[in-house]
Amino acid sequence: MATFRWLIQTFVTLGTNSYLLFPFGSVIYQGPLKAVCHPGLNCYSCPAALLSCPVGAIQNFLATLRFTSPGTWPRPGVIVLGYLGFIGTLVGRLPCGWLCPFGFIQDLLFKIPSRKFNLWPPLRWVKYGVLVVFVVLLPLLLIDNYGLGHPWFCKLICPSGTLLGALPLVMIKPSLWQTLGFYFWNKITILVALIILAIFISRFFCRVLCPLGAFYGLFSRVSLAHLEFIEGNCVECQACVRVCPTGVKPPIDPYSTECILCLKCLDACHFRALDFSLRRFPHPGRAPQPPPAS
Amino acid sequence: MPKKAMWLIIIFTLLFVLGVNAGELDFLMNLGNTICLSCIGVG
Repeated sequence: MATFRWLIQTFVTLGTNSYLLFPFGSVIYQGPLKAVCHPGLNCYSCPAALLSCPVGAIQNFLATLRFTSPGTWPRPGVIVLGYLGFIGTLVGRLPCGWLCPFGFIQDLLFKIPSRKFNLWPPLRWVKYGVLVVFVVLLPLLLIDNYGLGHPWFCKLICPSGTLLGALPLVMIKPSLWQTLGFYFWNKITILVALIILAIFISRFFCRVLCPLGAFYGLFSRVSLAHLEFIEGNCVECQACVRVCPTGVKPPIDPYSTECILCLKCLDACHFRALDFSLRRFPHPGRAPQPPPAS
Repeated sequence: MPKKAMWLIIIFTLLFVLGVNAGELDFLMNLGNTICLSCIGVG
C-alpha cells in the first residue's frame, strides 16, 4: 500500500505540473485545463502547472465579489465550493494523503533522517482560523485604496505558491526582481521555516496551517470513504498510532478530522482491526424485527 | 449511502451547476491564465 501511495503521489505531482514549454512560451500554461481546480494545494502560478489552485480561486472569487455588475449573477465561487464539497463528501481528507503535491513534498522531507518530534495537539485548530480569516474574511472585507480585495492567504502564507510559483518565476523572469519586496521575503521566510519544521514534525503545514485540509476535515465524519475500526480484533498494540503521520489514534477516533486516509495504519495492523470502507445505509435485514402481534 | 452524505452530494452538485451557469468557469479560466502576483509575493 505504501509503495502504491508513493506512486500515486509522484504521478499526480508530476502529471499536474507537466507543462514543460514554459521557458519558451507565454511563461505559464494557459490552456483549457486551467478551468479545473487541483484537488490538493498546487499553485496555479507555477509555470508548469496544468490546473488551478482551489484555495487561490476561492479567494479571488471573494475578493472580486463586490464588483458584480448590475444585472449579472454574483460570482461568490460556488463552483469551487461545490467541487471541493463533493470531493470532501466522497472521500474526506484522502486528497491530502494521496493527491496533494505540497503534502507529498512534506512526506519526502520527513524521510530525512533526524530526531522526530510530536506536534502540540491544540495547534491543529489554527488551520480553521486560517481558513476563516485568510481565505474568507480578509479577501471579502479588506480592500485597498482602489477598492480591490486580495487573496491574503496567497499573499502572506502559502508555501506552495512560494515554492512552486514564486521561485521558478523569479528565476526565469529577471524583470520580476525589481518588484520583490516585503511580501516575497516574508513568504520565503515562512517557506524555509515550514521546510525545516517538516523535517522534524510530520506534515506540519497540513496539520497546522492548511485551509484546504481544514475544509476537507469538516467532512471526515460524514464522508463515504472512511476508516473502520473493528474493536474485536484490536489487541491494543498501538502500532497504528505509532505510524500515523498526523497523530491520529484510530482505536479512539477512527473518523478524526486529522486523518488523511494515507492508510499507513492498515499496513501496520497485523490483526485486521482497521479497514478502509464505504458508509452505507443500514441493511434492512439487520434492523430489529418488531414482535408479532398477538 | 447515509442520508447526510447523499444530501451533501446533492447540495454540492447543485452549487457546482449553479457556478457553471453563473459564468464562474470563465472567471476560473481567466484567473488561471494570468500570473498571480500575490502568490509570487509582489505588491
